[in-house]
Amino acid sequence: MSECRRIGESLAAYVDDLLKPGERSGVDRHLAACPACRKLADNEQGARRLLRQAAPQLLNEPLPPGLRTRCEALARERAATQLAKFGPWWRVRLVPVLLTVVVMIFGASAFFSVATRRSDTLLAAQLTADHSKCFRFLGPPDGTSADARNIERMLLEQYGWTIHVPSSSADDDVQLIGARRCLYGDGLVPHVMYRVHGQDVSLFVLPGTERKADDLVTLGHRSQIWSRDGTTFVLVSAADPADAGGMASASRYVMREAR
Amino acid sequence: MFRRRQPADADAFGAEVLRYLESLFATAMRLTRNRADAEDLVQDTLVKAFRFSDKFEPGTNLRAWLSTILHNTWRNRVRDAGREAVEVDSTRLEEAETTADGLAASETPEQLLLRNTLDGDLRAALDDLPEVFRQAVWMRDVEEFTYAEIAKMLDVPIGTVMSRISRGRRMLLDQLRKTRATA
Repeated sequence: MSECRRIGESLAAYVDDLLKPGERSGVDRHLAACPACRKLADNEQGARRLLRQAAPQLLNEPLPPGLRTRCEALARERAATQLAKFGPWWRVRLVPVLLTVVVMIFGASAFFSVATRRSDTLLAAQLTADHSKCFRFLGPPDGTSADARNIERMLLEQYGWTIHVPSSSADDDVQLIGARRCLYGDGLVPHVMYRVHGQDVSLFVLPGTERKADDLVTLGHRSQIWSRDGTTFVLVSAADPADAGGMASASRYVMREAR
Repeated sequence: MFRRRQPADADAFGAEVLRYLESLFATAMRLTRNRADAEDLVQDTLVKAFRFSDKFEPGTNLRAWLSTILHNTWRNRVRDAGREAVEVDSTRLEEAETTADGLAASETPEQLLLRNTLDGDLRAALDDLPEVFRQAVWMRDVEEFTYAEIAKMLDVPIGTVMSRISRGRRMLLDQLRKTRATA
């Protein structure tokens, strides 16, 4: 490649003053010795200077009537589309927060469910809390009795549960007073409520689960756990009843009849 | 990190784009050499810019981004039409008249004449350049884009950009000398 051609390829950068000092001095030396390349460089420099001086006027093209108005309308339309796409700011921020909360709730529930299946104490504590809550806030008034068959029908028709509910027993001073549905760590379960020797007693039925028999005291209440035919039962009563003998007899009755 | 454009930015983005309307139209005029085509080209450019606004990365050069869209749109039009840019001499006369109408009232008649003559000659000389040289010179010396930005917009190597700028500048000066010589 001839020297003039090589210099010609660098002229734009030379005129724009973008060459490194060493490269620039090389071009300077060639231009000093080559009138033809010097003329090309001068012409290029002249055109560049002229264009840059005139640039503000060249860029100041009067817009055709209506163009700005149409472009402003495009901008407004685009802004409205963006707003509709994303929604107001509070929705933009609230949605991730709600999703996070939902994920956390599901995560906690899953953990609680697994933990409840593994721990009798945790199961007993939850059911004891339900026992106290139901009798204190939701229990039927004293003196009312319920028919076991009606309760079985209600549990079947409303919730799809098929269980045999021990009925009231005058011999054991057991009075069936009602049933409801309760939520615990591993789902919804039937909660059958009794009055035994004047004390509140709960029978919880956990269909589809099997546990080893256990008998433990949690939160001041006794929880007796047993399983039969793929169903777990938990009987919750006062840990220290006034008539311990009567309570033991009544418990045996319920445990024998429930299935 | 790439930040997706949020609705709060929507109005600001539109306002920023509209700031470059005049320079986009000026560039479109040099590309099309026709007011009606330039107007269509600018409008198409803005439609695309707003439609693909989420592709623009905040903090980068919005003017260069818009100019890239404008040049791509023009290139596609020329290709689809199977033609070179339209040459209409009468349009240039109309343009000169419109420019005179748009001048600031504070200028004296002498300044007006001098400026019109100079800008008119320069525009005419630019418009007479073959398109590839006209684009390169305009983008470098009027819009002051870097070689790299121009190479990206025109989709050609930087060496080609520098070569076109160099040759386009010299052709422009030759053209102006011819115009002055015949005036």
